[in-house]
Amino acid sequence: MLIEQSAYANRWRKASPAAKGIFALGGFCAAFAAGAPAAAVVVALLIAAATLAGAGIPSGRYLRAVTPAFFFLGISCLSLAFSLRLDDGTGELSLALTPSGMQKVAEVSARSIAALTALLFLVLTTPLTDLIALFRRLKTPEVLLEIMVLCYRMLFVLSAAVHDTLSAQSARLGYATPRLAIRSLGGLAANLTLQVWQRAHALHMAAQARNNDGPLRFLEPVFANSGRDAIIATAAGSALVALAVGWS
Amino acid sequence: MKSPADNTNTLLELENVTFRYPDGCVGLDGCSLAIHLGSRNVLIGANGSGKTTLFQHANGLLRPQSGLVRYAGAAVDYSRGGLRQLRSKVGLVFQNPDHQLFSASVQEDVSFGPLNLGLGQESARERVAAALQAVGMASFSDKAVHNLSFGQKKRVCIAGVLAMDPELLVLDEPMAGLDHGMRKELLAVLDELNGRGITLLLATHDIDFAYRWADRIHLMTGGRCVASLDAAKLADDGHALSAVGLPLPAVVELQRALGAHGLLSDSALPRSHSELLAMLDGPTSQSH
Repeated sequence: MLIEQSAYANRWRKASPAAKGIFALGGFCAAFAAGAPAAAVVVALLIAAATLAGAGIPSGRYLRAVTPAFFFLGISCLSLAFSLRLDDGTGELSLALTPSGMQKVAEVSARSIAALTALLFLVLTTPLTDLIALFRRLKTPEVLLEIMVLCYRMLFVLSAAVHDTLSAQSARLGYATPRLAIRSLGGLAANLTLQVWQRAHALHMAAQARNNDGPLRFLEPVFANSGRDAIIATAAGSALVALAVGWS
Repeated sequence: MKSPADNTNTLLELENVTFRYPDGCVGLDGCSLAIHLGSRNVLIGANGSGKTTLFQHANGLLRPQSGLVRYAGAAVDYSRGGLRQLRSKVGLVFQNPDHQLFSASVQEDVSFGPLNLGLGQESARERVAAALQAVGMASFSDKAVHNLSFGQKKRVCIAGVLAMDPELLVLDEPMAGLDHGMRKELLAVLDELNGRGITLLLATHDIDFAYRWADRIHLMTGGRCVASLDAAKLADDGHALSAVGLPLPAVVELQRALGAHGLLSDSALPRSHSELLAMLDGPTSQSH
């Protein structure tokens, strides 16, 4: 919901998704091309600045979106930094922090942060419906797009159904004890399974009623200034790559 | 009941239609009904009386097991092409918006029907804009469906069908779940559509609303349309209403009581509370 809200309410909502995709791709390339960790960090900072100052994403929301990813990155870095060593003489296991390990951690984490900011830039500024439309223009197989369209829509329908069922169960003490909670969860799963089937049938009927004969067809969104946006995004993305490669 | 075939301006006609669901439940049981071009129709009946089944026959989603469905005088052709033609003329709006909307974008969902009709992107775009304008949702075209209120979702559903430019718009309990303000807004939309010549057929449980709004009221019970009444003369058809467990509209009972007390002319036939109040304040009541 956090990402969803930002995607629909940011200054660059009306900018071409293709342009935002190009800039994010530039960010990814720069992250991988960065020769030194410092270069990747600078790339990350520039992309984050574009997201916060350019697109107008509130910093608190940005931090909340980035924190879980940082948590997982931190755990991964710890496993890279430390190595398990078996002492041949005593046969004891020990944890060791090696300089080469630290160097690796710096490289991997800096690149990951840069790539993460590029991805966050894209998803925080572009609603999924626009991204799906972009994938459609890029000739992604129809079946994948239809699955994406339906899954995205059903995500909200089913989350509402889960919320309603949970509330109804809680109101009748369904989660009062651990034993009751397990029983209620089973009921919730059974109920949702049935609802999924019923809703799939209802959607099929609704599609037929509107003359559907197979593929799901939708209007392509139009974005004013998409050419100008693409040129600016290409220039900005190229600048990021040049910065990452040229950093010494 | 008048024979549906008597009318030359009949748009949709069901003749002795029977439909039974696979689990044995009766959907329609010898149901006959006629909908006239340009009219406002209400289908009223208890839950399980066959209203939704009838609507699905109107759009060709269900096929009668016996009997006949005619559209514009011709029997419905259930071939792929025939159904395509029928569904482009008969738009069906489902009761639950979440059962109908399957794109997360308002504009995309409304474009679904026009693109299925084979229209190009530009024509579809024009239809989408006009349909959203007609239901007062033009400023929501690039919004996410899941961020809309229930009433707004209903209006998007209507726009999705309107964009197909139907002759007959069928709405399954459109007022269900709407608050007073949303009902008024939806009613204004429906009045505007009817003013443009679109024939309307909707299901409701509310006899007061049916009396106030409709030209024709069709009473459903046990899978049959047991009476098709002229709404303007509903006050004389109390027996038909009571046969299906419906009361007379409250405004009719009130008008009669006021008439009995000499406060209102017996010839006055207000269709709504506001009309009744206007009559009480007007010269008709003053003369008595």
